[in-house]
Amino acid sequence: MNTFSNIKELVSALNREQKLLTEMFKKRKSTSYKYEYALDLVDNDDNRIQYLLNRSVIRQNGNNLEIDDEFLQFFELVLDANEEINTSYINDNLEKVKQNIDYYFNEPNEQRKYEYLRTIKNTLRKIGTITLRNVVDLKRNIDNTFKNEPTYKNKRAKLIHLDNKRKDITKLIAQTEKLITEGDVTFFNTATDEELSRVIVQLKIQLGKCTHNLIEIERQIIDFLNQIQYQSGVIEKLRLVKYLKDQFILETTTDIKSILGANDSVIFEPNPAYPLKLSLEYLQADEEAFASILKIAKRVKAGINLKRPVAEKISSEYLQTQTEEEIQINLEEVKNGFVASSYNLFDFIINYNFVKEVSFEDRVTIYCQLISQYENIFEITDKFEEKREIEFAMVYPK
Amino acid sequence: MEVPIQTADIFKILSKGQFINSNSSSKTVSDLYKIIEDEQNFENLYDYFRSINFTLEKGDEYFYFSRPENKVDLETKIEAAFRWIDIIDFLKTYDNSFGSGTRFYPYEILNRTKTDAELETKLEGLKKHTDKEKHQDIIDKILKKLIDDTFIELENEITHQYKVLDSFKYLEQLILTINIPDDVRNEIPE
Repeated sequence: MNTFSNIKELVSALNREQKLLTEMFKKRKSTSYKYEYALDLVDNDDNRIQYLLNRSVIRQNGNNLEIDDEFLQFFELVLDANEEINTSYINDNLEKVKQNIDYYFNEPNEQRKYEYLRTIKNTLRKIGTITLRNVVDLKRNIDNTFKNEPTYKNKRAKLIHLDNKRKDITKLIAQTEKLITEGDVTFFNTATDEELSRVIVQLKIQLGKCTHNLIEIERQIIDFLNQIQYQSGVIEKLRLVKYLKDQFILETTTDIKSILGANDSVIFEPNPAYPLKLSLEYLQADEEAFASILKIAKRVKAGINLKRPVAEKISSEYLQTQTEEEIQINLEEVKNGFVASSYNLFDFIINYNFVKEVSFEDRVTIYCQLISQYENIFEITDKFEEKREIEFAMVYPK
Repeated sequence: MEVPIQTADIFKILSKGQFINSNSSSKTVSDLYKIIEDEQNFENLYDYFRSINFTLEKGDEYFYFSRPENKVDLETKIEAAFRWIDIIDFLKTYDNSFGSGTRFYPYEILNRTKTDAELETKLEGLKKHTDKEKHQDIIDKILKKLIDDTFIELENEITHQYKVLDSFKYLEQLILTINIPDDVRNEIPE
């Protein structure tokens, strides 16, 4: 097996196959990446795949390819995409710091002492970054597990596992803090280096942030676990209840009767109707109500014919038309005729040729009517005459 | 006693046997929840409704009514409880974590019945509560019932997405309160 002889070779190899590696990295979750797919991405040049295989960048498994675990971890770590939370890194680094402090004290040579100091500073910086990244990963993993893990028991187991990780990280943070504050007081006091104190301040800030995040994570895990506990409790109970119900013994074996008996929730009641009468005042005064009344009235009319009381038949006798003629005497005409004549009124009327037969008595009546009506245009004299035992005044036109 | 101006709206919902949920996507309802949630308002409303014989009950993120001289006979209650047990059992078989806050699409449930024989059997079992024959119709009918009782709501009419409301916990609580004596429990196969 060949290895890369220098960084340049490695980087240029990765750069050359960036397309293939990107694609494979994206699909790292699915188990199989077919050899043929890979060939497409390297311009069908089998040698290029062989080159990567020879240098253990990728591995072949039957017809499938996968990125070598070492590279995969490296990519995930650098790209903040790792799912495994590895507390051993922190632990290792912590040990490394302790060892280097020892070396630092043992070493008389200033130059080498400085080397050790540099390693310590680097390692401390690394601890801060790794811890913070672990916390972020932990949080993401917990969320993912709770939301996406379909199997109940696994979800619970995974969350508990992640909770243990959280405890580990918390422990390591405590150890780190102890190391830089109490542990090797001599070292941190003697090795007066400006950069070192800056690194330590930075580390403390990062650790503080981690601690706060971890408290929040703890709260969340407890909440999630409680929810799972509750859900599985419900499911467990539901299964039992359902079983008994399907056996038709739920009522007899459990206290469901008394529980429901004591439950007065309105939800059990049929939907209530409140048939309240409308206020008369509202019906009389409101425009909208009136519109509704009209609408309903129309509908009612269309549907039901009200039976009205029927009167008796009208007899046909009443329906026959009967005419009655009456000839009226036009007093005006008589007056005009009289004014034009030279007779006295009484004689004029006695001799007047009416359109119909008029008796003597009627003519006397007409005489009286004319006098009373046209008194102003007649001259009523004081002379009287007598005819058929009627005495009358002599009247002439004026 | 000063009651909030929304008292009539609150009464209208609760007196129908419905719930006022904190996680309702209807702004009106969630606003009503906030009003009742206020401690002073709750006390006032409690007394107010008490005087017309309704008890304002507080659940976990939901409110509902109960009343002491409930006229419903035990038979009807048991019938309702049995129906709920069947429906919840079906939904929990579909999704173990089915509960308050879950969002789901009816067609997903329907599709699952095609590959999940247990789910299909349970769906068939719901026939007796719905008088429907087709699977689709049975699901639609039970969802409608749950909506009418405000245990779920149609959150998105376009995509047909439903949301489970907080009042679903009422049903879960109801099941949890049923006591199964140990000797009976031991006889139930795993």
